[in-house]
Amino acid sequence: MQNLSAASPAGVLLDLSGVLILLLAFACLGSKLFNRYLAYYGAQSVMLSLAAAVTAFTFGSIELWILAVLTLAIKGIGIPVAARRLLIARLDLKRDAALSTGLSTSLIAAAALTAFAYLVTRPQLLPHGVIAAAVVPLSTAVILLGALAMVVRRHTVAQLIGWLIVENGVFLGAITLVATFPFIVEAGIFLDLVAGVLIMLVFVSGLTRRLAGASAAELRELQG
Amino acid sequence: MIALVILTAAGPLAGSAAAACGARARLAGWAGSAGAGLSVACAIWLLTAQLRGAPLSAFGGYLYLDALSGFFLLTVAVVTLMAAVGSVAYLAAEQDARYLSEFQVRLYFVFFGLFASLMLAALETGNLGLLFVLIEASTLASAALVGLEARSRSLEAAWKYVIISSFGVTIALAGTLFLFYSASTLHLAPDLRLTWPALFAHSRALAPQSLRLAFLLAVVGYGTKVGLAPMHTWLPDAHAEAPSPASAMLSAALLNTGMYAIIRFLAIARGRLGDGFPRGVLLAFGFLSIVIGVLFMIRKGNFKRLFAYSSVEHMGIIAVALGFGGVLGLYGALLHTLNHAIAKSVLFLSSGDISLRYRTREAARVSGLLAMAPVTGAALLLGSFAVLGSPPFGLFLSELTIVRAGFAGGSPALPLLLLALLAVAFVAFARTTTGMATDEPQAAAGPLRSPYRDRAARVAAVAPLAAGLAGLLVLGLWIPAGLNTIIRHSLVVM
Repeated sequence: MQNLSAASPAGVLLDLSGVLILLLAFACLGSKLFNRYLAYYGAQSVMLSLAAAVTAFTFGSIELWILAVLTLAIKGIGIPVAARRLLIARLDLKRDAALSTGLSTSLIAAAALTAFAYLVTRPQLLPHGVIAAAVVPLSTAVILLGALAMVVRRHTVAQLIGWLIVENGVFLGAITLVATFPFIVEAGIFLDLVAGVLIMLVFVSGLTRRLAGASAAELRELQG
Repeated sequence: MIALVILTAAGPLAGSAAAACGARARLAGWAGSAGAGLSVACAIWLLTAQLRGAPLSAFGGYLYLDALSGFFLLTVAVVTLMAAVGSVAYLAAEQDARYLSEFQVRLYFVFFGLFASLMLAALETGNLGLLFVLIEASTLASAALVGLEARSRSLEAAWKYVIISSFGVTIALAGTLFLFYSASTLHLAPDLRLTWPALFAHSRALAPQSLRLAFLLAVVGYGTKVGLAPMHTWLPDAHAEAPSPASAMLSAALLNTGMYAIIRFLAIARGRLGDGFPRGVLLAFGFLSIVIGVLFMIRKGNFKRLFAYSSVEHMGIIAVALGFGGVLGLYGALLHTLNHAIAKSVLFLSSGDISLRYRTREAARVSGLLAMAPVTGAALLLGSFAVLGSPPFGLFLSELTIVRAGFAGGSPALPLLLLALLAVAFVAFARTTTGMATDEPQAAAGPLRSPYRDRAARVAAVAPLAAGLAGLLVLGLWIPAGLNTIIRHSLVVM
């Protein structure tokens, strides 16, 4: 098995894209415009497909190349474009006013979560010989940041994007194992993601037609 | 044999296919019921084969069946059959009352079959990654059922359900990843590193730290689907807003499928980490769920929410039983799974009947059921006593087993706490349901019209209730030798 440690060029590239994915998650948390959320998510997915391509190149794995292309086509282009057309444009969403904390507070919390991610997934926690172990804390941090976005943001569209960021984080973790993670499973995860986004789009637009803002803050009918 | 396994999972799709081809409610419903019946028959056949043979494994472990999965397969298939027969009556009545359009009814049957068959398939795979994929897919299929009525309440419930569950299951996927990491020191073929039997056989050689993280993430992630507190918040909304047979499926099939995933992780974690850590995690989540479930049951309100909180409580009991461990605890957990599944299906199906008659889901506006609709009233009353664990029903036996397991495990504090909580649950739950059944009928309501068009629909509404109660009675008095053997075989793989 070829080496993908931090010393090799491929390893550096992988780490770099991991860091960029994390920074884009931060950018998403620091923004208030729906357009930006989607742009950052799209850029993050493009970086993810780059990471997949790097590992695919290193291990010469055709399945991984397929995953990289799928990531680029569906997550990088498909979902952002569809969400822009079907949600942002049609519902005329601009500024996200439904935040439960200020931006700076959520950024500080995000920094704390990143530190926490490094703490719990110290490299020595992982068995030796894992490919690109540095990516594991990065992906954990992205998962936590996505979760934070879901908690802080009250608007349904913003929560949907938070979940997509979580999914990206998990995928980043999975990609570092690519040489070995079964392809059927990865493909299935992809299928679920697409189906999930579709069904969520239906619910969000249905809710918006009935409530003025489709903000989860207004979802108050069901309590207790 | 392999064809039989596939047939089990594909059975409920018959209803989906019929509905997709444009069949009306009744035809699609009966097709789905026939398919579910086929699944039950296949599941029983597979179980009897499991009594003698070794676990079934094919396609590199992607298809895997042992006594444990066979047991859950039978439970889910039985629930599917009951709910499918109940759906025939319920959906036709809703359509007659112009509460649902023909399109919505067709949509219901398409997604009902899909939901059931995805869950059955999830129980038949030995690959933990594929398990995740199928459980997530079943979430999406059932979200369509929750949001079916397309009112703002049901859309809200469906949104809450799909976003919380998807997030939860994604956390479980992260747990699966860490499990994969912990196996990377093993010299296994890559495909086998996610395959349950291989992991279980080599569990002693897994890396402990990341296995610990994996178990915790899996309990939190799949626990979201199971409805363990504090991840249960979607559950009462989704159960209250879904059409009643779909609520029965959620409560009695989906929650158990999630629990099955946790049990698989538990078996691996116990192999490496010993008893202490998994025990602590499960007892903490279990007791918290029981407490939360019981507290919210005290409130009098929507009766479907009451049943939903009772599901939270019972899933907590099962988690506690798994935490107590030992032969008694695990035996009790499995027996309780089956009993609770049947009892909760009876309750939710009877709640469908009540809401069809009264057009309300508020307990306060339902009274005198025993006088106005004797069969439904009796089913509600008996079902609620069954679910609360009164003898002679099966849940009495399984709860007794679980409490005994607690005493056998050492400190008497935990089982005593469990008993106290069960007593509070009894009072809180029975207060509402006995009121619904026995209070003076409201004079203003006038005589109730049967919501069903003809005799066949009435039979379809009553048959699952009667069959379920009879089954619970049998399980309370006598455990069939075959079932006993299957549970004992399952304990070996736990």
